[in-house]
Amino acid sequence: MLKKHRNIFSYSFDCLKRYRMRSIAIIVTFLVATTMISAVLFAKDGLEREAEYSVSVAPDLTVQYLKAGRVAQIPVTYADNISRVEGVDRVLLRTWGYVGIGTNTYTVIGLDPSGLNYSGIAASSLESGRFLNADDSGAGNVVVGQLIAGILDVTAGDDMILLSESVDAKRFHIVGVFSDKESIYTADMIVMSLEDANEFFKMDEGMVTDLCVYVNEGLVPQDVAAKMSAMPNVRILDQDLLLRGYKAAYAAKGGIFTTLWTIVLVAVALIAFSQAIVVGHESKFEVGLLKTFGFSTLDVIEVRLIESLTLGFFATSLGMLFGFAYAAIFNAPGLVDILLGWAFLPSEFRLPVVVSFESVFSIYAVTIIPLLITTVVPAWLNAITDPELAMRRAAT
Amino acid sequence: MIEARNITKIYNRGKFNETAAVVDISLKIKDKTIVALTGPSGCGKTTMLSMLSLILTPSSGEILYDGDGVLRASDFWKTVFRRNNFGFVFQHINLLPQYTALENVLLPIYASDEDPAQYKERATMMLDELGIADRAGHLVEQLSGGEQQRVAFVRALIKNPRYIFADEPTVFVDEETSKIIYRTLTRLRDEGRTVVISTHDVELMKLSDDTFRMCKGRRA
Ligand SMILES: Nc1ncnc2c1ncn2[C@@H]1O[C@H](COP(=O)(O)OP(=O)(O)OP(=O)(O)O)[C@@H](O)[C@H]1O
Ligand SMILES: [Mg+2]
Repeated sequence: MLKKHRNIFSYSFDCLKRYRMRSIAIIVTFLVATTMISAVLFAKDGLEREAEYSVSVAPDLTVQYLKAGRVAQIPVTYADNISRVEGVDRVLLRTWGYVGIGTNTYTVIGLDPSGLNYSGIAASSLESGRFLNADDSGAGNVVVGQLIAGILDVTAGDDMILLSESVDAKRFHIVGVFSDKESIYTADMIVMSLEDANEFFKMDEGMVTDLCVYVNEGLVPQDVAAKMSAMPNVRILDQDLLLRGYKAAYAAKGGIFTTLWTIVLVAVALIAFSQAIVVGHESKFEVGLLKTFGFSTLDVIEVRLIESLTLGFFATSLGMLFGFAYAAIFNAPGLVDILLGWAFLPSEFRLPVVVSFESVFSIYAVTIIPLLITTVVPAWLNAITDPELAMRRAAT
Repeated sequence: MIEARNITKIYNRGKFNETAAVVDISLKIKDKTIVALTGPSGCGKTTMLSMLSLILTPSSGEILYDGDGVLRASDFWKTVFRRNNFGFVFQHINLLPQYTALENVLLPIYASDEDPAQYKERATMMLDELGIADRAGHLVEQLSGGEQQRVAFVRALIKNPRYIFADEPTVFVDEETSKIIYRTLTRLRDEGRTVVISTHDVELMKLSDDTFRMCKGRRA
């Protein structure tokens, strides 16, 4: 019995060499399709991990002020009220917004330097320079992300000019640059003191953008939030809500995921189809001949299984390797602009790439299962017809 | 002994192109004989041969080997029976074009529990007997029709089967090779093999122990 299986194996592998065009057609199609889809999936998983990271460093609760149902500036006095709520450990004022430099948009975050240790940003490591401290309040000092430093070609010690909405140019002094070792979360950030941010964004007196609330150790943030909800005109965001927001943002850009999956499925379907029509004809004769000589129906299925699995695993694995290289080493040119909305990337930029079990599994599934179905099922159908008919119909 | 009882084969039954290829044929083929099926083109020789060799299921009738009906046996049983007992030469030769002559000859071994490599010597020797040893390593698609037929002939005999079914084994070969094939078939019979052929070749009919004439699907 064992020898027979060895024969079947060697026959199958031989087939792959003999029917070279058929093997190459499958490998090339699968390679291209899986390279694209795996690059996108790996990058998407990476970006989602980033989203999770940025949420994990976000405050337990974010409190916004609603005016006529829209988010508006929140009075600083709210911070006192909230800090008196049972379970609240600390409240940080925050003013933030966006600023454009060239064609890119960056995030400006203003925090009270003395409270910085509390904010998740302080957990990010620096590539050079120092972090903000109490003396930096209103001093015009900033810490910028890697991406910005790369694009503007600046480093700690340099100055940079930012244009506010009212087109006032304001000079800032860079005291530090974030590292992007553990995350790209800080890559497009400009962190300054609350005072500077309030001035830059021309906030009304006694107003900030929102409040960062940290609850006492061991408490569930949502429980504490429930106690605040009685306050008028506030909206309270917890981390779950933020995460959903981030993921929705990627999903919106992610029309591309649907498009790519469609391309992959079409490619696989095409190959499957050509298998069934062109190769099916050739292989019908072969199956009839094998059965005549005493290959059983199961033997025939075994031959096709070995062929398809070998080709499928080889091409798909290679495709994933290419996709990984494309995303992780070459930063997915063409793809990254769509995913991140950045037109220009400095060479220092590294696209976050995560290879998850789910992605790998679904890529294998979407390529190998159709291949198996379209090769094994026809082989089985041919194997259960009379060998004479299988050979005769194919020969004519 | 092979016995056919009231065998009928109707292709495409119930369709516009329904063809009664073999109608109610009964015959007996004794062991250790050469038996020839003859008749004009389209009379059903290939169809009959295919049914006798269990690669085509009759529409009705029974086929017996050594007195046992085999048609109701499972597909697997028939496959194993073919594997262990039959050698085939097809009218359309049916070699795998992407493989060499030697590889084609060894193909039947792959279905068995034996090592194809062990048959190489025997295969080479047999190819040599038919004068095509030097073609052993050539792809089949590069061989002439007569050379291909000789390869097919060697493939049928490689496992030294008990029954040999040969559909017009001499149509494409020259006189010289025909003579070798006659000698080989006779020798096989003398060694105790049973040979069933279909042919128009008068010489082949002469050396047959029995000849069944067919006409329009019936015994003539
Ligand atoms: N698969 C098929 N479907 C329909 N009709 C068929 C099929 N195979 C054979 N026939 C028909 O059955 C008849 C017998 O064919 P068969 O091949 O058995 O004849 P033959 O005696 O071998 O002829 P030849 O000497 O030309 O090889 C022919 O009329 C043929 O057209
Ligand atoms: Mg015929």
